[in-house]
Amino acid sequence: MAYSDKVIEHYNNPRNVGSFAKDEKGVGTGVVGAPECGDVMKLQLKISDNGVIEDARFKTFGCGSAIASSSYVTELVKGKHIDEAMTIKNTVIVKELNLPPVKIHCSVLAEDAIKAAITDWRKRKGDDVAVEEPAKTSKEA
Amino acid sequence: MIECLSCGRQQEPSLICAECGSPLAAQFDCFAALGLPRRLTIDLDALERRYHELSRKIHPDRFASKGPKVRDASLRATATLTRSYRTLRDPVARGLYWLELNGEKLAENNKRVPVELAELVFEVQEQLAEMQLSSDPEEAVERATEIAARRIELQFKMDEALVELDRNFAKWDESADQKMLTLELKTTLSNIAYLRTLIRDVDRALENSKAA
Repeated sequence: MAYSDKVIEHYNNPRNVGSFAKDEKGVGTGVVGAPECGDVMKLQLKISDNGVIEDARFKTFGCGSAIASSSYVTELVKGKHIDEAMTIKNTVIVKELNLPPVKIHCSVLAEDAIKAAITDWRKRKGDDVAVEEPAKTSKEA
Repeated sequence: MIECLSCGRQQEPSLICAECGSPLAAQFDCFAALGLPRRLTIDLDALERRYHELSRKIHPDRFASKGPKVRDASLRATATLTRSYRTLRDPVARGLYWLELNGEKLAENNKRVPVELAELVFEVQEQLAEMQLSSDPEEAVERATEIAARRIELQFKMDEALVELDRNFAKWDESADQKMLTLELKTTLSNIAYLRTLIRDVDRALENSKAA
């Protein structure tokens, strides 16, 4: 299968690879995976008190599309408010990276990673401020 | 109800006709194929005995002189039996099949990976990459030794996960709180899946380093 130029570009020059210390102030960590293929993605967001994403780091084990998807979202979320970041849909990633249908799950994983990281940040912040739990997805509800 | 192609008797789905002992090409679930109750905990010795007993009864050799429909039924019943046996014999395959029977998908609402497991995945994959990059033969041997030690650690974690899976099975058989248990079962099965991927990659890298 041929990767798109953008996937290859992110794969060769991944943005914001690495980690923040998990307990660093303002850091939310989202770790998600695809059990069928064994891909694992860790996304960390550094978020200001008023909810603006200031910086992001990722580590991904998986195929080129999974790495490119997570690399791209680190750029995409920077500077956004978490409320806006929560609404980012995987389709944006699919479009930007020209992902073929068999790789759409990689973009879903990246979307889930953003949500998981923000949820983690809210939970940790929740020690001082009570924050509502995010709405559960249909099956769990 | 299905009909026996040899004697015409109408009966509940089964691999063998209750009337004449002919094989029946019925489609049904793995537990029913082996005449076992739908329970996650299985006595593996009993499963194997049951499998051998049934395979003898429906073996295509026994029906070689019969008509094409009966021969075909014998082949199909044997295929169903073998597939069912293999699915139930392996606890991971059994667990995944159980999810399927309950209309669940492993990855649905099950994306979170325990942080320690994710860190382990990253660490091991980095080690593997380093080993592949090392051009100095002495260093390569050293790396391979580290990886071999990792392999043991991973197997230990896998064994723990399989014990946990057995625990999930027993709980399911005893309790009615299936929603909670589905989640636990999915978590254990996906942890096993991540470990399997890691072990597969480690084994491949060790094979390659031996070959080099």
